Amino acid sequence: MPDLVSTHHPLSEQEQLLLSVLLDTLIPASKDGTMPSAADMDFKYYLSTQAADFVADLTWMLGKLDPEFPDLLLSERCKQLTEFSANEPQAFQNLLSRVYDCYYQDNRVRNEIGVVTGAVFPQGNQIIAGDLALLDPVIKNASRHGYRKT
Amino acid sequence: MADDVVDVLIIGAGASGAAVAWSLVDTRMRIVCLEQGDWMNPADYPSNAANWESQSFGPYNIDPNVRGLDTDYPINDSESDVTVVNFNGVGGSTILYAAHFPRLHPSDFKVKSLDGVADDWPIDYDTLEPYFAQNYRVMGVSGLSGDPLYPPKQLPLPPLPLGLVGETVARGFNALGWHWWPSDSAIISQPYEGRDKCLNLGPCMSGCAQGAKSSTDITYWPDAIRRGVELRTRCRVREITLNDDGFADGVFYYNADGEECFQRAEVVVMACNGVGTPRILLNSTSNRFPNGLANSSGLVGKNLMFHTVGTVQGLFEERLDSHKGPQGCCILSKEFYETDLERDFVRGYSMQINRGAGPLKTAMTGYIDGTISWGPDHHDAFRQRFDHVASIGIIGEDLPEQNNTVTLDPVLTDSDGVPAPKITYSYSENSRKLMAHGLARAEEAMRAAGAVEIISDGPKPIAGYHLLGTARMGDDPESSVVNHWGRSHDVRNLFIVDGSIFVTASAVNPTSTIQALALYIADTMKKNLANLFD
Repeated sequence: MPDLVSTHHPLSEQEQLLLSVLLDTLIPASKDGTMPSAADMDFKYYLSTQAADFVADLTWMLGKLDPEFPDLLLSERCKQLTEFSANEPQAFQNLLSRVYDCYYQDNRVRNEIGVVTGAVFPQGNQIIAGDLALLDPVIKNASRHGYRKT
Repeated sequence: MADDVVDVLIIGAGASGAAVAWSLVDTRMRIVCLEQGDWMNPADYPSNAANWESQSFGPYNIDPNVRGLDTDYPINDSESDVTVVNFNGVGGSTILYAAHFPRLHPSDFKVKSLDGVADDWPIDYDTLEPYFAQNYRVMGVSGLSGDPLYPPKQLPLPPLPLGLVGETVARGFNALGWHWWPSDSAIISQPYEGRDKCLNLGPCMSGCAQGAKSSTDITYWPDAIRRGVELRTRCRVREITLNDDGFADGVFYYNADGEECFQRAEVVVMACNGVGTPRILLNSTSNRFPNGLANSSGLVGKNLMFHTVGTVQGLFEERLDSHKGPQGCCILSKEFYETDLERDFVRGYSMQINRGAGPLKTAMTGYIDGTISWGPDHHDAFRQRFDHVASIGIIGEDLPEQNNTVTLDPVLTDSDGVPAPKITYSYSENSRKLMAHGLARAEEAMRAAGAVEIISDGPKPIAGYHLLGTARMGDDPESSVVNHWGRSHDVRNLFIVDGSIFVTASAVNPTSTIQALALYIADTMKKNLANLFD
């Protein structure tokens, strides 16, 4: 529970600014406005509840970014991250997996992509039973498909 | 404890240990099962949470080396083309399995006679048929009778929904005139035996919080325990001991506190899978068996078989709702199951249709294979793929070879200091040719089904789901470890009931057959109680 009410942020103000721009670079809002930016996610809450082990790596990665990163054009930011991903592929993949993990748990996002939001029980998912008449050709060819005699 | 003798001691509470305990309890003998893992709490399974996908990559990972629980044992697979995946706990690997539940075919028991390769089993499909049926009833299996590739069989429950994924790929198979059929699935499609039906949540392979997936902790075990079997968890067996007459007389194990304990037994039954069983046997040395218990043939730990696994993903323009429904249970094709002399390999493979991934896996897989970028184009690429993918899994028959082995690692140990298994395994030329054929045919099926883009991958490295062959059954003590009813040739009160007794691997998921074997062996033991050790 302390995590839910704490005002403490594991990152400095400068790091928080860098993170926000980093998140918006990795997943910006969609052009049609239906999908939010990753910067709109509560990444602090995600870090404190699900990814505390990632804070040190994240801090290290933010320290690798150009201090001017927030002021760069999007194309320049993408270029820098592409270079970072080439130089530090494992670290970048880890970063991306955490960002995606946080992003695709968000109810606005899940609702938009058609994934159940909130409790999955008791309703679950509905899928079509399917047309078993599609088996007719298999049944008609039963003699060809028949099991191998031993 | 030293004077406390149980009638039957079972090692392992997974697929086969549960079945053999459930059957043997009819005898009213005193039966104890030792399991190194814990009971699972379904409320803890990731499918209860929005972050189920990331949990399945971490604490519920199918790879014990990644999971790293102290109830697991590490596995050295540095010299193996394939990574072993398993789970240790009540239910064993049925906790995390896909529950795809086909049986071996009649021909699978006769590959030497039919195709001139490997060896025939000492039993046949008809021997196991009553036990397949019994197992289907106890586990709760959904499917459709009438598959022409099998002798007649009855399914207790109607098939799981095909969904748009199943229908779409089925149309592709039909266009090519190929066989397909709804999968036999150990997932209940209707309420059954106090359990509620599948809700199509998707994450079967990180545990089923609904209880619709038939893992043995919720099928066999509750009934076996109610009828008198004692199941002790957090008990890790180190070795089986032998008395002066050459009979197994007990086991040393470590309890939850890491204390060494000894349990005496009249009969020992091993149910630890194709890696865990040879591990314990090889660690049970004596003057009589310096190279491991029951190993006069030298075959304990040899002939390790997995299945050769590959995947072909098809991207479709229409939405398939593919993240919904049981991941691994939909339809399957056996069009290329048997040997065809016109091909450049022997035996064959099945095609298991899998549904799509959740959003996190979709996004990360897309990043890794270059199809979904991060940045401004992320949303468009993600929308094109998420819920638009169907997948065909190729499961190829892996033939027994003595150079594919489980041995004891000289350095690596588990948390109790018991030597870890070391896997030495390489794909054969036959397996690689088989996989190339399978990938090409699956691509053909995807194109026929209307896929606009196809990605193939195989043979895959993280694919050691099925652990088979390391203590094979047979009639000749020089070429097998146990006889035709699972009894050690060397130690007449030692039985093995898990996948290690498979003679050949077939090209289907083995759990259904492993459990039928366990029930058959238990039944044979019951019929021979008066002369069990003769």
